[in-house]
Amino acid sequence: MSTITNSIFTPETAARFDHLVTLYPVKRSALVPMLLYAQDEVGYVSDAVVAEIAQRLDLLELDVRNVLSYYSMLRTKPAGRYNVQVCTNISCMLRGGYEILDHCKHKLGIGHKEVTADGVFSLEEVECIGACCWAPAMQVNYDFHDNLTTVKVDEIIETYRAGKGKDVK
Amino acid sequence: MADVTFTVDGKQITAPAGTLLIDACKSAGIEIPAFCYYPGLSLQAACRMCVVRIEKMPKLATACTTTVAEGMVVATETPEITQARKATLQLLLGNHPLDCPVCDAGGECELQDMTFKYGAADSFYTEPKNHREEQNWSPVVYFDRPRCILCYRCVRMCGEGMDVFALGIQNRGSSAVIAPNIAPSLSPDNLAHLDCEQCGMCIDACPVGALTSGAYRYKTRPWEMNHVTTVCTHCGDGCKTTLGVRSTSDGAEIVRGDNRDKSGINGDFLCNKGRYAFDFANSQERITTPLVRQPNGDLKPVSWEEAFTVAGKKLRELRDTRGGKSIGVIGGNRLTNEEAYLLQKFARTVLGTNNVDHHRTADYVTFTQALAGQKGRTASWNDTKSYPAVLIVGGDPTNQAPGTAWNLRSDVRLNKARLYVANTSEIKLRRQARAFLQVAPFGYGALAGYLAGDASAASNAALDPTALGGFLEAVKGEEKLLILIGSELRGADLKRLIEFGLTIPGAKFALLSDYANSRGAADMGLLPDMLPGYTPVPTPGPFTEHNIPSEPGLDLLEIFDAAAAGNLSALYVVNSNPVARYGVDPAALKDTFVIVQEMFLTETAQLADIILPAANLYEKSGSVTNSYGDLQLVQKAGDRSGVRSDFEMIVRIADKMGADVKALVPFGKGLRADMGQSRGAQSGEADRHAVWLTANNLEPKLSPFDPWAILDEIQRLVPGYDLLRLQLLSGNDQHLEPAAAAATASRRDLVLPSGDGLFTSGTLGRFSPALNDVQRYQAGEPLIQIQTAAD
Amino acid sequence: MSIVRNAAAIAKGMSVTLKEMFQPTEVENYPDGKGPMRGAKFQERFRGKHQLQRDENGLEKCVACFLCAAACPSNCIYIEAAENTEETRISSAERYAKVYNIDYNRCIFCGYCVEACPTDAITHGHGFELASLNATTLVMRKEDLLVLPSAHKLPDAVQSNKDTAEVLA
Repeated sequence: MSTITNSIFTPETAARFDHLVTLYPVKRSALVPMLLYAQDEVGYVSDAVVAEIAQRLDLLELDVRNVLSYYSMLRTKPAGRYNVQVCTNISCMLRGGYEILDHCKHKLGIGHKEVTADGVFSLEEVECIGACCWAPAMQVNYDFHDNLTTVKVDEIIETYRAGKGKDVK
Repeated sequence: MADVTFTVDGKQITAPAGTLLIDACKSAGIEIPAFCYYPGLSLQAACRMCVVRIEKMPKLATACTTTVAEGMVVATETPEITQARKATLQLLLGNHPLDCPVCDAGGECELQDMTFKYGAADSFYTEPKNHREEQNWSPVVYFDRPRCILCYRCVRMCGEGMDVFALGIQNRGSSAVIAPNIAPSLSPDNLAHLDCEQCGMCIDACPVGALTSGAYRYKTRPWEMNHVTTVCTHCGDGCKTTLGVRSTSDGAEIVRGDNRDKSGINGDFLCNKGRYAFDFANSQERITTPLVRQPNGDLKPVSWEEAFTVAGKKLRELRDTRGGKSIGVIGGNRLTNEEAYLLQKFARTVLGTNNVDHHRTADYVTFTQALAGQKGRTASWNDTKSYPAVLIVGGDPTNQAPGTAWNLRSDVRLNKARLYVANTSEIKLRRQARAFLQVAPFGYGALAGYLAGDASAASNAALDPTALGGFLEAVKGEEKLLILIGSELRGADLKRLIEFGLTIPGAKFALLSDYANSRGAADMGLLPDMLPGYTPVPTPGPFTEHNIPSEPGLDLLEIFDAAAAGNLSALYVVNSNPVARYGVDPAALKDTFVIVQEMFLTETAQLADIILPAANLYEKSGSVTNSYGDLQLVQKAGDRSGVRSDFEMIVRIADKMGADVKALVPFGKGLRADMGQSRGAQSGEADRHAVWLTANNLEPKLSPFDPWAILDEIQRLVPGYDLLRLQLLSGNDQHLEPAAAAATASRRDLVLPSGDGLFTSGTLGRFSPALNDVQRYQAGEPLIQIQTAAD
Repeated sequence: MSIVRNAAAIAKGMSVTLKEMFQPTEVENYPDGKGPMRGAKFQERFRGKHQLQRDENGLEKCVACFLCAAACPSNCIYIEAAENTEETRISSAERYAKVYNIDYNRCIFCGYCVEACPTDAITHGHGFELASLNATTLVMRKEDLLVLPSAHKLPDAVQSNKDTAEVLA
């Protein structure tokens, strides 16, 4: 029941969304997963994404924006090709998470939620990413890097910069 | 529901089970403070101000979400509760700027009141407050984020109340904000804006000064104005609006319109026009001196005396030489009942003509005639708030009568009323409707026929004739049905629809019209064939004493036809703009002597030989009748030097014509009343005495310009206008049912709906800067960004 | 005995008088004294003609809150408020007093307005020579009440001659 013609998403995602809507007693429940999938595909939640999701769920765009703005993991501006997320939650903090973050800031020359001029990297300080036992940890796109040291971070960033890193979206 | 008895602060209270504790306490005179609670909206329990101690409950409970129960023991003011409320206020004030001296809400702010009561002005926070710039969401709505306490009243008011859903909450925690529906990224100027009905209900609901009105902001302070409650001059609902007035060098300027005490027939509601479109009264374009056309064609400012003398002399001369029947009189939809009555009486007794008409916006003649002999069949506006089932045929209340739409939405939401909508277009109220029938284009007549039992009309009645049966069954199944009829139905169609409705025993009817006193103009006999109270001209009944010509006169179009044919010697237009409305060729009036009483130089006024500057409905006293037949008091709020009320001008012209003013306005009657000799020394006593005299119709009317003298006559002569003076004077509405005689022969359909929407209001609307701004804004013109100063 | 007592009392009183006769005269020689005050002397707290103050940037302190007018027992303060814009900035908050009149025919110099003022904009000066043969001159306008901005440096935003004129106006 692909109700949307001219979807901005790929046919696979569109089909997935069509299915997602049917899973819940209330259509609206599919909103958060939809936003996440859309973000993975488009890179951020653009106005077009908001418009199409609102249409799919019979919501007002305002409703979508209300939810969207609530969650810090959802972006409304494009991130870099590699989105570096450094955890500074308690375990990582105790094991030097802030040093890693500061190192990344220094190395990439950008701050929290900023993107490098060439658009390759973006940096985010995030809450727990579930890697406490290997703290400090960070996540680049959906790829985990743990037991970090500043040296290791340099290597990881160089790997990505050279285009050799896994590019999981 | 059954009553339960419980104790609050040692006082025994009885209330129906299911009542919210906060409401039950309020009815018993115990105030529980609350920011987020708003009667009639869904519960939020966001502000924690209404906490009370209920025995046997482990913690303090919110009174706004607790329903009363038998034997409940509640304490509303204890040191514990005071402490809790104070802590709540401290949290709210953590980010609230203390800019009360500047804030528009200062003086009528709930947060300010509560801070005064519980004292929490000193903050324990050392962190700087979050500051954000003020935002201009629309020409009439401004948002100042730091003042917002996130009570969500505006969000619920806009969504549930107005069914617009233009406001939402974005972000979270202390950075949460109220956000309008046009995101900055979608707006040409990269600022957030509102796309909505611009009703201002969010501003009204806001307990603090976070949402402020573009029309009123930073102009004055609440205690500096006089607050005059009167009736809105715009649509036919007749909402009570409170005008904030301050005196200026040339009169009294209206600076604010709002629904201050919510005591009117409109309850909580007021729309864009009632709230902002009072500013035509302050327009610089108003005419403030009488103008008389000179032989060379110029309009020359003259004194009042001269203008009246010329008008009276000329009218008398034309009446005496060419006969009263050569004179036409056109009244307005925004005159008070007294003025409308006086105008027709002037035309019929002084000018001796029945050529009286007004711009008809609904067929009230057929409406009352179809209900002749019935009692209790006309609906009051109050019925739309509570009737269990409502059928709307034609019309679009959301745009034409926003207050009616509000009532219907509330009725559906709060009372689970069943709403049936039959319309040619998909009007917004169909969203609340249990059943929506899309009527075929021009199919209202066929629909009325079908409902009345003519099955053959089905094919022309609805786009989908198969839907008709189910719709009819559902409607017929209702025991108590309110039938709201749009102005599309007239004459025989209207009659048939009402005949169908009369087969439902509990049915009541209302016919929607367009302006503040459209109904009153018809009731008061501004019609060529009907005297006041729909008394046919040939059988004048109570009006026999006036010696009215026995033949019906020319209607509005015939008057202009006569003018074009050179048969109209004079035309007297009071507060109406028929030339623009009916597209009259200006050349038609070249041989006619035209007197126009107007506020502005309208198309009609431009053709006039004499222009008399008139006061508007906000500048005079009297009464008006809304679409439903509810009579309300109009009080003088604004004032403009150089204008006079239509009432006074009619009397003056009659006087200059040599008419017996005492016969026209029966003043000087009521002198049997006590003139003060029995009054006590205290003025308070004298005031009470005056109220009593007025209520008993005994007050002296010493002036021929006193509308109450005419109200006496209306009360005495007009069938159905047996009103209660005390009810009127105390600012309450009362429902009237003018009883018509049975139907007369078929009449020409002259109803011309105004086609006004939310942001237009006939000729008047063109002169309201607020309405023009909103129209431009809604049409998508780039906003005139008023740069607001940062603080 | 009473005669003696009365005589003693008179003597005591006269002794005070006699003593004062030889003291230097202390008279305020207004209006023939020296200096700009022409011999008049005031306590600091003397309540004379009002002054409308300016802030450190030379902007008017008055934000037209109307509290002075509300507090005034003789109803002698008349204010009309207007909104500041980017182009013309009169006060530091959103609103300023477009018109500010005090009617000295009515003012009783009670000082309630000064008490009420939340921004310390209105104060009592020491002006006391208010007598006039024409009552209409006793209605003082904002221009008559405002202190001159000269004591303060003009704000950067109002350095041009035109702006100065506006500030002074």
